[in-house]
Amino acid sequence: MAALTNIISKNLTVKPVQALLLFLLLVILLIIPMISGMTTITLFSRIFILAIFGMSYDILRGFTGIINLGHALFFGGATYIAGILFNRVGPTLDVLLLAIITAFVLSAIIAYIMGQFAFRGTGFSGVIACAMITLAFGEIVRHTAETLRDYTQGADGLTFRIPEMFQDRFMMYYYALIFLIVMTIVLRQFVRSPTGRVLQAIRDNEQRARFLGYDTKKYKLIALVVAGMASASAGIMFALLTRFANTELLTVQSTLNALLYTIVGGTGTLYGAIIGTGFVQIAQNSLLELRGIHEIFSRWLIFFGAIYVLVVLYMPKGIIGAFYQLHASWQKRKKHG
Amino acid sequence: MAAGLSIILGLLGVVNFTHGTLFIWGGYVSIWVFGLSGNFFIALLAAIAAGILMGLIFERLFVRPVYGNVTAQILITLGLMTIFTDMVRLLWGPNPIPANRPDFIDGTWIWGSVIISQYRIFLIVIGVLVAIGINFLINRTRVGMIMRAGTQSPDMVQAMGINIKVYFSGVFAGGAALAALGGALYVPLVGSVWSGMGINNQILAFIVVILGGMGSFYGSAVGSIIIGLTVAMVSWFYPPLTVYSTVILLILVLSLKPEGLFGTAVRR
Amino acid sequence: MKPLLELKNISTFIGPFHILQGVSLEVYPGEAVVILGRNGAGKTTTLRSIVGLQPAASGQITLDGVNLLGLPPYQAVRTGIGYVPEDYGIFDFLSVEENLLIAMWIEDKDTLARRDSVLDLFPALKDSYKRPASTLSGGQRQMLSIARALVNENKIILIDEPSKGLAPIIVEKVRDALLKFKNKSTIILVEQNFDMACSVGDRFYIINEGRTELNGPIQELYDDQELQRKYLGVVNA
Repeated sequence: MAALTNIISKNLTVKPVQALLLFLLLVILLIIPMISGMTTITLFSRIFILAIFGMSYDILRGFTGIINLGHALFFGGATYIAGILFNRVGPTLDVLLLAIITAFVLSAIIAYIMGQFAFRGTGFSGVIACAMITLAFGEIVRHTAETLRDYTQGADGLTFRIPEMFQDRFMMYYYALIFLIVMTIVLRQFVRSPTGRVLQAIRDNEQRARFLGYDTKKYKLIALVVAGMASASAGIMFALLTRFANTELLTVQSTLNALLYTIVGGTGTLYGAIIGTGFVQIAQNSLLELRGIHEIFSRWLIFFGAIYVLVVLYMPKGIIGAFYQLHASWQKRKKHG
Repeated sequence: MAAGLSIILGLLGVVNFTHGTLFIWGGYVSIWVFGLSGNFFIALLAAIAAGILMGLIFERLFVRPVYGNVTAQILITLGLMTIFTDMVRLLWGPNPIPANRPDFIDGTWIWGSVIISQYRIFLIVIGVLVAIGINFLINRTRVGMIMRAGTQSPDMVQAMGINIKVYFSGVFAGGAALAALGGALYVPLVGSVWSGMGINNQILAFIVVILGGMGSFYGSAVGSIIIGLTVAMVSWFYPPLTVYSTVILLILVLSLKPEGLFGTAVRR
Repeated sequence: MKPLLELKNISTFIGPFHILQGVSLEVYPGEAVVILGRNGAGKTTTLRSIVGLQPAASGQITLDGVNLLGLPPYQAVRTGIGYVPEDYGIFDFLSVEENLLIAMWIEDKDTLARRDSVLDLFPALKDSYKRPASTLSGGQRQMLSIARALVNENKIILIDEPSKGLAPIIVEKVRDALLKFKNKSTIILVEQNFDMACSVGDRFYIINEGRTELNGPIQELYDDQELQRKYLGVVNA
């Protein structure tokens, strides 16, 4: 086991202690489905997949400083692509591959076009323009999905069959977990790459990055394309998990979900999105269970909004940020004491 | 409604996503009060009062800590939007509620082949009155003077011995009241109110404001005319494209001229 | 005699930076005090701390016995301070007239009379009275900003680098204006221009690295070239 932690620690450039914790966490996650019921398994699979959606948003908000209010279009769009293809062509692995390719190519193209328009302005009006243009793109896609009833079943939602391999909930849990791990490593490599560092420079001070000779618009485009594709991959996995797509997935609300995952967990940390997704999803589930006590607990959105506002106002760095703060003050005390 | 948004965005530099919510609150409150009192003007006043109250609460508790931080403003007002939109569903249910026009302006006038509903005329009159009122307030009063000065440098206004925060709250509440009034007036036009109405109109109003240039009332007016004409024309020729046309218009304008057609380029 | 304005050991932070680390000064009624020092020494911050735009974290600020520390700017100013900032602080979207009006929180007869006499001091402003302030030149902006500080019955006028960025001939005009109302009011003048400082000021304070280090009659500084070189970087004044 020491060798294993060593390998993890070397490949992921983390401290041995962290590697050990990571390893323990992995073991726990591997055991969970064997000891718990179907609800928990599905909840965790959901968290794994949505965490990628959240992380893809963190690439934008946390690492580049972009607010994209139409981000759900990549996620929901991919779910729809998978669903429509499964329905029209058939629920086979080949079609899944086709769906993945289509979703990736389309997301990349749309992200590119979206970025071309959204990243024109800079400064105060630039931020607003970006938010509004991305919101507009998102609304266009949502509206299209609502209009193309033949393909999407409109507001009723689209149910579809999936390849046999993914039908078992138990196995799906592991697929989702593997997917999460792979994507985390991929995205982590991305934000640590030279490109990723330029993105963080843009987030900290776009003007300075430009003065340093970086074509900031190009880098923002790269971030948007990567985030779009990552969120599309999450969308496909989501299709495999839920076997259902509706236009809710494409609404601003859906984008706000991803944003909430990242800000609750801590923006600019990547892992924050995982923690945030877990926290929000579990909170949502527990609140829904309280529904019997009082009607207000079924109004998830009110709590959702409240968490949102409170986190932005009082915990702008999220759970991870708060943890680091505690950790730092604890270390300080240790030093002085 | 766009006028209200323009005031807040242009004069305070605050991006406000709660306007769609205030819009539907205005609609629901007016229907509710109309049902209770049977008087349309009392209903409108109630909507305005609700708008002012909510605007003050939003500004004091949530927006004040994040002046100057656009990203946090977007996030916070989006959060508030979520809460208060869902609150509407909690209070009045998720289904559309029918709204009646008041009797005295429910009729139509017919000139030859042209049919004009009295309510539309009423709306135009109110719109013009509001525009004139705002224009007077901004350009002819001390309050307006302070607001104009505040867009440039809130600090310097303070150094003139003026408590700018009070004015900021006032402007925010005023914008909120206009949004609520907009909702109250819009609902009888379309005949019903439902909770999803907010976001659509929010986007439309943002489009109007941004098209016209932030903080420019003249711009807002021109923006809403352009939008109105585009929507009318496209829906005449090819209805399914109506929604896209406005959005595409917005994208075009923003990408060609990010500060809007008549933008005075908010300096911040 | 009791000082009109008194600062005791002021400490001010801007973000994480400890800009003022102990500024103390006394200004007596009727005198003109010049604050000198190198760029970034904390002169502007001292004025901004008095007005409350850059609140001081600790120390004592009193104007005529009234405590200013912790007051928001609009209240601090109302105790009787006229503030003329470095960049003039003119409102571009307002007319010249409105720029004066906005400063007048009481529009009584006295204030209006004072406004008229101030305008007599700056005839150039009269000509463009109804025009938008954005059309004014740099010198005119400086005049307007000073005029604005004079329309109220202020106890003290704070002026931040009036000569900065202006052509020498305009600086002359500004100096003339300052000299004209100098004996009528108490002034704190932050100035880099040594000639201007010496011709307007009665006493000087030198701020160095956020601390007041020296003070005395302006003549003393004028005569002591060594001092000038050390603190002001003035070479053969």
